[in-house]
Amino acid sequence: MGLRVLDAVELPIRYEANIAEVRRSARALAQSRGFDSFATAALTTAASELARNVWVHGGGGSAVVEDLSDGQRSGVRMTFRDSGPGMSPADLERALAGGFSTARSLGLGLSGTRRLVDEFTVDTRPGAGTVVVITKWTRF
Amino acid sequence: MVHDASHFSVDERELQSRRAFFELTDDDLRRLAALRPFAERHLDDITEAFYELLLGHLETRRFFPDEATVRRVKAMQRQYFLGLFDGRCDLAYAQNRLRVGAAHERIGMAPKWYIGAYRRYLGLILDRVFVEMGDPVEARAAYQSVQKLVAFDMSLALDSYIDANLQTLGRHQAAIRELSTPVIRVHDQVLLLPLIGTIDSQRAEQVMETVLMRITEEKAEVIIIDIAGVPVVDTEVADHLLKTTAAVRLLGARTILTGITAQVARTIIQLGVDISAMPTRARLADGIELALSIVGKTIAPKAV
Repeated sequence: MGLRVLDAVELPIRYEANIAEVRRSARALAQSRGFDSFATAALTTAASELARNVWVHGGGGSAVVEDLSDGQRSGVRMTFRDSGPGMSPADLERALAGGFSTARSLGLGLSGTRRLVDEFTVDTRPGAGTVVVITKWTRF
Repeated sequence: MVHDASHFSVDERELQSRRAFFELTDDDLRRLAALRPFAERHLDDITEAFYELLLGHLETRRFFPDEATVRRVKAMQRQYFLGLFDGRCDLAYAQNRLRVGAAHERIGMAPKWYIGAYRRYLGLILDRVFVEMGDPVEARAAYQSVQKLVAFDMSLALDSYIDANLQTLGRHQAAIRELSTPVIRVHDQVLLLPLIGTIDSQRAEQVMETVLMRITEEKAEVIIIDIAGVPVVDTEVADHLLKTTAAVRLLGARTILTGITAQVARTIIQLGVDISAMPTRARLADGIELALSIVGKTIAPKAV
C-alpha cells in the first residue's frame, strides 16, 4: 500500500509567534484526521518543541505540514528545516540522549520529541543546518 | 494638527537610498519643476476626474460622507498634486508624504484603494502630457519622472500604513499581556494565577515578575498556578514553570501546580520532564485545599 501525500503546507518560522502557528496547524490537521486526544497532544507538543528549536537554535527556518495516508491510516508528517549552525555527530548523539542543550532550556527537546512520535529522523551537519522529520499515525 | 504624524520616519541616508532605488534623480526633479505650469493648467480637471473614480465606487464613496468633506479633500488633493511639481524631494517632502499615508490609514482607507487611485492619477497625467507635449520623447521622459515620484510617494505611504498597523498590534499585545497575568488573592497568603493561552518567552518573563511581586506585596505563603488553559506544555513551558517555582521558593513561598489534563500528564512524562519539584493537583479545588492546609486552614462542612 503506497504512501500518499494528500496536502502540504509550508509555514515560515521567523518570529516566536510562528511557533504557535505551527502548533495550531499540527493540532488542526491531527484533529481533522481523527487522532485521539493523546496523540493530538503528543504531535502538537512535538511540533512545538521542534518549531522552537528552529527559532532558537537555527535562527529561523520553516515547517512543512503534510497530510498523509497509507491506505489504512491517516498520518501527519512534519519537516522542520533551519539553516543554523547544525550539529556534529557527537552533539547529535548527546542531544538525542537528552539533557544536552547549547541554549538555556532543559535540553530534553530532541530526545523527548522522539518519544512523542512514531517516526523521527534528523539530518544535520556542522555548518549545514538541521532537518528534522517526524510522522505520527492514527491508531487502528 | 491634533494627530501626530506617523512614527515611521526617514533620515537622510534612507531618503538617498530610496531615491537611488527609484532612480529619482535631480534631472527628474528639474523636469517635474518645468511641468509646474502644465500642472497648474490641469489642476482642476485632474482633481475632478480623480474624484470621479473615488466617488463613483460604492466602497470608496463612504469615505466622503458629505459635500463639505468632498470640498476639503479636493483642496488637499490639489495641494498634493502641485507638490509633485515643486521640484523637491527632500526630508520635508518625505515627511509630508508619510503624513499623507498616516492620514489615510487613520480613516481606514485600505492600501488597495490608495494604489488604485494612484493608477487613475498616472493615467490622467499620461493622457495630458502626451497631448500637450509635441515631442513624444520629451513627453515620455516627463511622464517617467512623474511615475518615479509617484512610486516614491506610494512607498512612503505604504510604510506608514505598515508602521501604524505594527503599532496597533504592539498595543494590543501589551493589553493582552496585562490581561493575561491576573493574580487573584484566594485567601490570606494564598494567591492564584490561572494561565491561559500561549506562554512565549516574553509572557513567561512577565508571569515570573508578576508572581514574585504579588507574593512580596501580599506576603503570600502559597501561589497556585493553574495551567488548564495552556494548550501545550512543552519543555519550554515546563522550564518556565520550574524556574518560577525556584524563584518563589527563594521568597520563602511555595507553588502548587493545578489543571493538568490527562493528555498533558502523559506528554510531560514522554518528554522526560521532571516536575516533581512542584506539588501538583489535577483539579484547582484540590490545589486550593492543599494551599489552605499549608497556611493552617481547612475547608470544613458547615456545622448543623
